[in-house]
Amino acid sequence: MDIMFYIFSTIILVFSVLTVTSRKILRAATYLLFVLIATAGLYFLLNYQFIAAIQLTLYAGGIVVLIIFSILLTSHISQSFEPVGKLKTIASGLASVAGALLTLTVLLEHEFTASTKPPVDVNMESIGLSLLSYERDGFVLPFEVISVLLLAAMIGAIVIAKKSEEKVTNQENNKSL
Amino acid sequence: MNGESLIVFFITSLVLVGGAIVFSNYIAPKSFNKQKIEPYECGIPTTGISWLQFNVGYYLFAILFLIFDVETVFLFPWAVVMKQVGLVGMIEILIFFVILVFGLAYAWKKHALVWE
Repeated sequence: MDIMFYIFSTIILVFSVLTVTSRKILRAATYLLFVLIATAGLYFLLNYQFIAAIQLTLYAGGIVVLIIFSILLTSHISQSFEPVGKLKTIASGLASVAGALLTLTVLLEHEFTASTKPPVDVNMESIGLSLLSYERDGFVLPFEVISVLLLAAMIGAIVIAKKSEEKVTNQENNKSL
Repeated sequence: MNGESLIVFFITSLVLVGGAIVFSNYIAPKSFNKQKIEPYECGIPTTGISWLQFNVGYYLFAILFLIFDVETVFLFPWAVVMKQVGLVGMIEILIFFVILVFGLAYAWKKHALVWE
């Protein structure tokens, strides 16, 4: 099983680096797709089938499509970014090394002890039961609030993407004038 | 499924697909012609690039798809335990559903579903 972990990690690392170094934005989005799919592979390794399925349908299937459409909405897509200057490369390299060092020191200082609790089988059934339970440790309120959040996201997207009727007619009137 | 069988599967598929490509590359007859590179055999020659600015409608449809995609993700755990939780689960999922139907109704009213 270890070797699969290394394969997925290598894919994630290589494509993450390609995502941030690619000078063409559409290619960067495609590399990101590979990173997300390999992450789903890691979830499958951990036996989190539900999370893995979400990762594939939502992130690889939905978010990447959304990102690509947002890129295609902008003009000057085909234009690749100007190569960054040396000073910027050095500065960003230093910043990322500092971030990695900070994370590493925190990780190494923390002692990870195995949990004494018996392992819980995270299957679809237990997720469904705790999601719909209104008793203690139930998640019914967050579950219902999620729908409000989704509603807000939907309305927000429509309001931003759609011009209001009056504005459109006003513009048309101005044009005809 | 263990790691070894996955690796065997991976290598087998790699060899099969790669072998087919390499094999056909060697035995297929080849000829070069300038017309072969063009996207169409006849008609108006294409100009410019194919990366054009897209209609905003694509973005709207994508985000609406994504939101209902998230909704279906939450429907799956409920569907598995539907008989177990019974009426209570039904009411909970109906509330969830109705709130999202408001969003669909709003999209409909704002003509977001109409392709322009």
